[in-house]
Amino acid sequence: MPENVITIKQLNKSFGKLCAVCDLSFEVEAKTCFGFLGPNGAGKTTVMKMLYGKCLRDRKDGTVVDVLGYDPAEDELAIKSMSGVVQQEDNLDDELNVIQNLLIYANFYGLGKTTAKEQIEYLLDFLELSAKAKSQIRELSGGMKRRLVIARALMNNPKLLILDEPTTGLDPQVRHLIWDKLHQLKKRGTTILLTTHYMEEAFQICDEVLIMHKGKKIMSDTPQELLKQNVEQYVLEVTGSYSASLFESPELAQDVRIEKAEEMTRLYSDDTERLRAFANKLHGAQYYLRQANLEDVFLRATGRGLDDKQ
Amino acid sequence: MTNNNTPNIPPLWRRLYSVWYRHVRVYTQNIFSNALPPFLEPLLFLAGVGLGLTKYITSTMQGLSYIEFLGTGLLMTSAMFTSSFECTFGTFIRLEFDKVYDGMLAAPITANNLIIGEILWAGSKGFFFSFAVLCILTVFGIISLPHSLFVPLIGFITGVMFATLALLVTSFVKTINHFNFFFTGLLSPMFFFSGVVFPISNLPEKIRPIAEILPLTHSVRLARAICTNRYSVSLAGDFLYILIFIFVVGLLAVGRLRRRLVN
Repeated sequence: MPENVITIKQLNKSFGKLCAVCDLSFEVEAKTCFGFLGPNGAGKTTVMKMLYGKCLRDRKDGTVVDVLGYDPAEDELAIKSMSGVVQQEDNLDDELNVIQNLLIYANFYGLGKTTAKEQIEYLLDFLELSAKAKSQIRELSGGMKRRLVIARALMNNPKLLILDEPTTGLDPQVRHLIWDKLHQLKKRGTTILLTTHYMEEAFQICDEVLIMHKGKKIMSDTPQELLKQNVEQYVLEVTGSYSASLFESPELAQDVRIEKAEEMTRLYSDDTERLRAFANKLHGAQYYLRQANLEDVFLRATGRGLDDKQ
Repeated sequence: MTNNNTPNIPPLWRRLYSVWYRHVRVYTQNIFSNALPPFLEPLLFLAGVGLGLTKYITSTMQGLSYIEFLGTGLLMTSAMFTSSFECTFGTFIRLEFDKVYDGMLAAPITANNLIIGEILWAGSKGFFFSFAVLCILTVFGIISLPHSLFVPLIGFITGVMFATLALLVTSFVKTINHFNFFFTGLLSPMFFFSGVVFPISNLPEKIRPIAEILPLTHSVRLARAICTNRYSVSLAGDFLYILIFIFVVGLLAVGRLRRRLVN
């Protein structure tokens, strides 16, 4: 029987009248990677914080928060001692160098001197930072800082690794390196929970994805199922402003869903031939026929417009 | 890695120590620029006062020459100022700008551990800063050893006391500029009206009780008693005041600041 590392039932958090997280339930199986997708302000970070006691949930009957067998409201230390957290900001100690930064955290986890040294050496090697061991923090690039924060979160060989937008603002090389490391960690039995805006990231590394919007769960499944269940297989993107009448042709009447914005019309369908035939008739227009991806699911689920929290 | 979920939580002392150690490590990283000023400042003060002012002040104060009187007071003001800076600007920057606390709170320490570690660190700075003043006073023969060697302990307690006050202030502050009110409005008056630069007995009778309320007054009495090796029963009252202050203000500060760390 698969064992759950996280079991959440009816989790709520409100700030004043605003419901930041509303009646959220989800489960994370051991040794899997679970991803939270959602626009800014959806409540993803708040959920992460509630799991390790940085944020206090609303007290309600029926709420269950079980992380590694403990409730953060009662045993935050037990949870923290078995997990690692990578927050959105790179909150490193700028005054100290790379090794010193890690030593401070080795101390927090109660590691002895020798163990700490071995562990730091191993982690720097794992995240390909060995050459930077003695560097000052301000000499590091954004990608190195991020990897150092991840190394810091792995100091205690956590069973659960929580990452809040681990690759935001990083270049493709570093992003792929981090994905690769997360894959390796998962293989070794670490359970991973992450938030992201990158659909590709969710698709690449998550076994299960939960799409969140305005504090609520919109849908949750494997990335493949989300795609299959919620969006047509292909998308034809037509750039430029065209009158609506153009898209009223009979061949688009069935099995095609049309989404029109100012400068872009998207036609969704499972029938690629139908879309291709239509595209061929658009003389001189810029178009792009592609497979639908998680981003289409996401935008469909959370809407294209911005709300006041984004 | 073990398969069962038995947490390996460091004991309380270790959690407090690791917070304290973090601060020590960051502070000592710039040892020259951080550790020299506490020695220079009393030196400048004593030079300025000693060279210029003392020849006009011929009467003794509580049986001490002016330079002795002032010097024994400076032992405590240096502890007061360092601890207050640490737990206002220092704490605020760690809290709001550098987000250092966010990282620390992901490690197995509680918000309470973090705040108490902060207070202990401020106390340690109080210890060190009053030790620096002690060195200067000793070198110039203003106070004598060995009994004065105990005075950094009062520096520690004073540092702890002002840390609780500063953290309480910090728990209210929304922008870093608000601290100016605390320094100009409370700490500067304390410097002048707590028996550091002149005896409280010279204050008008109506104002005198106010001086008794100010926490620094009690630290200065204890420090002066140790340096002059003259003790009286009333010092127990001063000591008790400090303990109660630390307890009450500390509880308030921890409670309020915790809500800013964990919300």
